[in-house]
Amino acid sequence: MSHFFFIIKSAFEDFSRNKGRTFLTSLGIVIGVLSVVILIAFGLGLKKYINDQFQSLGTNIIRIMPGQLLKGGSFSSTGSLSTIRFDSRDVTKLQRVKSAEYVIPIVTRSIAVSIGKGTEGATLYGSTADIFIALNLKARYGNIFTKSDVEKRSKLIAIGPKIAAKLFGTEEQAVGKNIKVENQNFKVKGVLEAKGGGGFGGPDLDSFIYMPHTTAQVFNPDKKFYAIIVKSKGDISIATAKQEIKTAMMKRYKENDFSVIDQAELLGAIESIFAMLNTVLVAIAAVSLVVGGIGIMNIMYVTVTERIKEIGIRRALGARKSDILWQFIIESVALSILGGLMGLGLAHGIVLLIQNMFPAYIDVNSVMLALGVSSVIGVIFGVFPAKKAADLSPIDAIRSE
Amino acid sequence: MIKLQNVQKSYKLDEDIVFNALKDVNLQIKQGEFTSIVGPSGSGKSTLMHIIGLLDQPTSGSVFINGKEVSKLKDDELSSLRNTFVGFVFQQFNLINKLTVLENILIPTIYTRSRLSYDPVEKARYLLERFGLEMKERSFPNKISGGQQQKVAIARALIMNPHLILADEPTGNLDTKSGTEILKLLHELHEKEKITVVIVTHDPNIAATTRRKIEIKDGEIQ
Repeated sequence: MSHFFFIIKSAFEDFSRNKGRTFLTSLGIVIGVLSVVILIAFGLGLKKYINDQFQSLGTNIIRIMPGQLLKGGSFSSTGSLSTIRFDSRDVTKLQRVKSAEYVIPIVTRSIAVSIGKGTEGATLYGSTADIFIALNLKARYGNIFTKSDVEKRSKLIAIGPKIAAKLFGTEEQAVGKNIKVENQNFKVKGVLEAKGGGGFGGPDLDSFIYMPHTTAQVFNPDKKFYAIIVKSKGDISIATAKQEIKTAMMKRYKENDFSVIDQAELLGAIESIFAMLNTVLVAIAAVSLVVGGIGIMNIMYVTVTERIKEIGIRRALGARKSDILWQFIIESVALSILGGLMGLGLAHGIVLLIQNMFPAYIDVNSVMLALGVSSVIGVIFGVFPAKKAADLSPIDAIRSE
Repeated sequence: MIKLQNVQKSYKLDEDIVFNALKDVNLQIKQGEFTSIVGPSGSGKSTLMHIIGLLDQPTSGSVFINGKEVSKLKDDELSSLRNTFVGFVFQQFNLINKLTVLENILIPTIYTRSRLSYDPVEKARYLLERFGLEMKERSFPNKISGGQQQKVAIARALIMNPHLILADEPTGNLDTKSGTEILKLLHELHEKEKITVVIVTHDPNIAATTRRKIEIKDGEIQ
């Protein structure tokens, strides 16, 4: 055991003597581990972000959409190529479903909003007043629109905080102001609380514009709905609610003409896409680890050549082939782990910086993976140079200059 | 203790040129002897020493150590014998420059598979003190004189309590004064501790100080 301790100690003494070379040699591993760990941290952060977004919307949200959106847990490649469009009859029918607490029709499209000079793009959601309850949306300033606003076809809108700040400078100032939506005049009734995020995960909810679906018919003359959201009653299982909805819808449509999707399914599908993307990126980053390993192998061959005499002396003094083999493998592993630790440290620093903007994080598995992979690389790429050292004939080695 | 029987060593220099470094050498070294192997350079004396020291194997013939035939031993067993049975002293000292004097002396002890009956560090310090090098324990080999380096090499050769000290031109790289000192030390070890010593040299004056002298020329014992 003291033998191993001695070898490890002398390996590190060697590194401190050759600081520059040690650093350059392990740089490949540093970069490899750094990129793999950062990418995994991003993947984890993305997963957490998407999860949080869906959690904030509530889990008992069921979407009814035309066509087959999901197939086998992922987005269907054929997409929602369905000719059917929902209308008010479907809404009425779903309102009779026992497990449905709220039935919310949705009209959506991309629109341009302006207040005279600046024009901004936004996503319009035309719906009933229930959408605010179903999606956990509350007004931060002013008010959300009400049932009677919907009935009266009032030209009122509630807008997300981001778009409010963009158009009016501050969120507060937006309340009560006039706004042009596709050249029609509307009044901002309220600014919603921030839902956070946007960008990577899904839709940027804070840039949405909500208006009564009755009013939105100006932009939607055929009175059809893009989707219907059902919020099921809390005491009824999602599966039961989905089954009841399906049964109700099948009175009018064929099974393949529409999809009934709950939050978990949608979340799973989105996650599986990002997980795949992340795996591909991590795999590409892993290539740099192999390159780093080759760098270590290269320098280990140089080390062996430089130290042939030392190897000969050690063999003459009683070192076995296996002793020499281990000496060089340990050096290569130490070099590789050193690189792994540096990469991990750098990744930690970068993740701390990123965390201001994005919930990326390094978990225990990444640490174990980084250290495990770098030791394995140390062994794999160290074993050939070490074998070369061990197989030297003692007499040739000691006579070399 | 050591017996060489019809030992031959040849090197293939080219396709069909074979150089015979040793030709049919028969030789026996008994325990407690002080022997010199003397001959001009190129006579095969170094090859002979490498074979006696188990660093090299003969092309044909047999080497017996305490009755055991060396060619039948595995590489690990040969390593163990080099570790415990022989102590080498080289002309070039062959110390490892990045290790301290003390660490150099301790190298054989880290490769031993048997439990030592003594504390190796204590023994190394005792040897350093005995050779007057107690102040140099933490020095590096390239920071001390040749004579001191050779003394460190002798201390390293003694750390495992070997049966045999094999010295290959031990004074070859030293000035006369240091050389005389090293020779005196080897004689002292032989007399006081009954260690078997074999010195390989080209210098007849050194060979003259040993009780037994084996002369070798053109790979043959005269």
